[in-house]
Amino acid sequence: MNRRQFLRNMCYGGIATFALPRVTFAQVSQGGRLVFVLLRGGFDGLAAVVPYGDSRYESLRGSLALDPTDLFELSDLFALAPGLAPLREAWQRNELLVVHAMAIPYRTRSHFDGQAILETGLDRPAGSSDGWLNRLLQVMSGKRSGIAIAAGMPRSMSGPFDVQTWSPAQLGHVDDAYLERLAVLYRTDAALQGRFEAALQQQETVGEEPMAARGARRGGITPIMRATARILRQDEGPNIAAMEFSGWDTHANQGLAGGALDRLLGQLAEGLMVLRTDMGTAWANTTVVVMTEFGRTARPNGTRGTDHGTAGAGFVMGPTVARSAVLSDWPGLDDRSLFEGRDLRPTLDTRAVLKAAIAGTFDLTPAQAARVFPGSDAVRGAYDVMR
Amino acid sequence: MDVSLRALNRFGLGARRGEAKGIGDARGWLRSQLKAVPRLEPPNVATPEALAQAVHTFRSAAQGDTLQRRAARRQLVEIASAESRAALIERLTSEQPFAERLVAFWSNHLCISAGAKALVAPFAGSYEREVIRPHVLGRFEDMVLASAKHPAMLVYLDNFQSIGPNSMAAQRGRRQRGARGLNENYARELLELHTLGVEGGYTQEDVQELARVLTGWTVSGLVRGGAGNNGRGRYGRRLFPQQEADGDIGFVFQPLLHEPGARMVLGKKYADDGVAQGERVLRDLCRHPSTAKFVATKLVRHFVADEPPAAAVERIAGAFRDTDGDLAAVARALIELPESWNAAMRKFRSPQDWYVAALRAFEVKTLGDPAVSVLRQLRQPLWAPQAPKGFGDSMQEWADPDSLMNRAELARTIARRLGADSDPRVLLEVTDLAAGDPLRTLVSDGSIAAADRLALGIAGPAFQWR
Repeated sequence: MNRRQFLRNMCYGGIATFALPRVTFAQVSQGGRLVFVLLRGGFDGLAAVVPYGDSRYESLRGSLALDPTDLFELSDLFALAPGLAPLREAWQRNELLVVHAMAIPYRTRSHFDGQAILETGLDRPAGSSDGWLNRLLQVMSGKRSGIAIAAGMPRSMSGPFDVQTWSPAQLGHVDDAYLERLAVLYRTDAALQGRFEAALQQQETVGEEPMAARGARRGGITPIMRATARILRQDEGPNIAAMEFSGWDTHANQGLAGGALDRLLGQLAEGLMVLRTDMGTAWANTTVVVMTEFGRTARPNGTRGTDHGTAGAGFVMGPTVARSAVLSDWPGLDDRSLFEGRDLRPTLDTRAVLKAAIAGTFDLTPAQAARVFPGSDAVRGAYDVMR
Repeated sequence: MDVSLRALNRFGLGARRGEAKGIGDARGWLRSQLKAVPRLEPPNVATPEALAQAVHTFRSAAQGDTLQRRAARRQLVEIASAESRAALIERLTSEQPFAERLVAFWSNHLCISAGAKALVAPFAGSYEREVIRPHVLGRFEDMVLASAKHPAMLVYLDNFQSIGPNSMAAQRGRRQRGARGLNENYARELLELHTLGVEGGYTQEDVQELARVLTGWTVSGLVRGGAGNNGRGRYGRRLFPQQEADGDIGFVFQPLLHEPGARMVLGKKYADDGVAQGERVLRDLCRHPSTAKFVATKLVRHFVADEPPAAAVERIAGAFRDTDGDLAAVARALIELPESWNAAMRKFRSPQDWYVAALRAFEVKTLGDPAVSVLRQLRQPLWAPQAPKGFGDSMQEWADPDSLMNRAELARTIARRLGADSDPRVLLEVTDLAAGDPLRTLVSDGSIAAADRLALGIAGPAFQWR
């Protein structure tokens, strides 16, 4: 008996007690999917979404100023970095909202605090607080489920609502005979049986192919996106996924077109487009949000990189956005406009974008969206950017 | 239920071969461990001198090139990993496993995170050795005070760079662009996570007052001069006249940074007498009734059940209050709880517990190289929780499907390491199995490779509980 048959025998017998991707996840009425992609390390918004039309851009960025002919123009003011070229298609299909001069509501240049704020969705640090995605699951009604695609449970997803995890860090192949024997043992434990069967099911869903690709275990973005699509696109798959990628803390030699950061942006864009393709028909109800804890200094530092800054860029992608656009109240790059004389000034609260994204994906009311972000009453959701 | 196994697994770190038959009176065996927790010497790479040297190298490498920075960072990581290994080996070999479990509990209660900042990692081992171990059977307030004064905590929650807005340093630095002021991080977590608990009845004003009280509690030997690296080095050296780049690294009360004046915390006024002002506030916080309740709830969740029974919480809180936080008395009260011996209440082993229990069962006394990465893969790297509230302590936190699959896979790695000499039947001695559990026959099933039988026992459901 191979694993596939074995799983059929095991899992479709109606014995599962834990949320299985295909077995006990009942459908959420609207079938929406939200993918939150956290770029850990503070990704350089000015390098990704280039304000080439700002007269101060070239002199301010100096050695890091990109050649306008390499860029993909979005407007008179903004263009995408060369590495992000794969996103052109999403832009042309009216599926890409580019956000700029956005920041978390708490001024810090610490990764630790910045990520904590972004992931808890609060306006100040609170050590015991749970993640906003978990709060979203609590606020939503009906059957719904979340999954963390990460080696550890990201703070954004942690909390009292039971969520699943899937990590690409799993070791190599485990043979079927071993897992079958283990499944027999797990049948003796009512509390764990369903959870173990869900694990077998999850492995079966993802299969071995995405992770067999070159570089998959070193954290390549595309294979992880491929695996994520397989999990999310099922009829009763999870509604919410949290993903994270690191490597964005570019203090040195971040480079120009084809440089280190641009290649990483290329991986990100390619991964997002793979997710878009692989989601198949489920893409129609999918929203992907890409954010980071802070932007970086407007000027290059002494090591051809940038240091921790304040406002930066992000993306909302999917057929759920109203139309392709750049959402930004552009503060400008002259010395007086820069925050503390060094960083892009924040003019948009991350929560305004997040509220809109969750409301647009799951048909939430503004009041429901506000419950996901306690203390954010003064922050109006940018609801009109979503369909 | 086998009472000896309950004592060894629930209160200890996992039964070893033959141990369940040998401990005699289970409660007495537990009580006998509450005498003194052995002190540990720092590993050679982590003596105070080595630590200071590595940190100073790291600080000065910030101005250097990439290679220098990388080498300096590697030195910090080496210290952290030597410390982790030493602490894990202590858990594998300890003859006072109940006391070691208490060390791990309190270490997580007052956690720092080695993953949060480069400068926390090298101090993580010293934090457990110097803050937690000496007080684990002593007074709660002494432990909290030691924690408040340790560089790991001062750096982790930023208190080392908190400056009183009306302090001498702030007045001198006001002309400097970007000079910072009060940082509330530590004060907030001290109330929310270390003492009263989030519902313990304090206000944002209490947080700010406590933050003002604690200004000046900083770390000597970390000169923050130089060009702005990562947004850190923003105070002129002249603000820290008593600190030298090559001095010892440790707690110092720096009056120049301290916010002058009397402070009001939880309705009580504290005169400004320097460091003693904060010491008195901290001791009072530790004796607050909310603290007893909060700490008792966490202890009962750890030792009894994910949903702590109210009667058990009240008994432990009572023991805490009656003894002014004598942690040995509290530990004895845990042994006496009827709920601790209720067979219906189980605890799902955390990843660290599971890994340590598997190695202890077979009396492994050394660590293979991958131990640190194994714990990372299991999502519970030593001393590196994601947030200041520490690692979670419930089945919901750890028994997700992906983690069970991780354990299934890692069990095979562990089994390979245990090798052919390890008898899978040991698993029957160290686990409380039901009479008809299929593992009973499986461990002797010659048609299955011995390594697989070991792995199945370690990955199987019975071994996931304590």
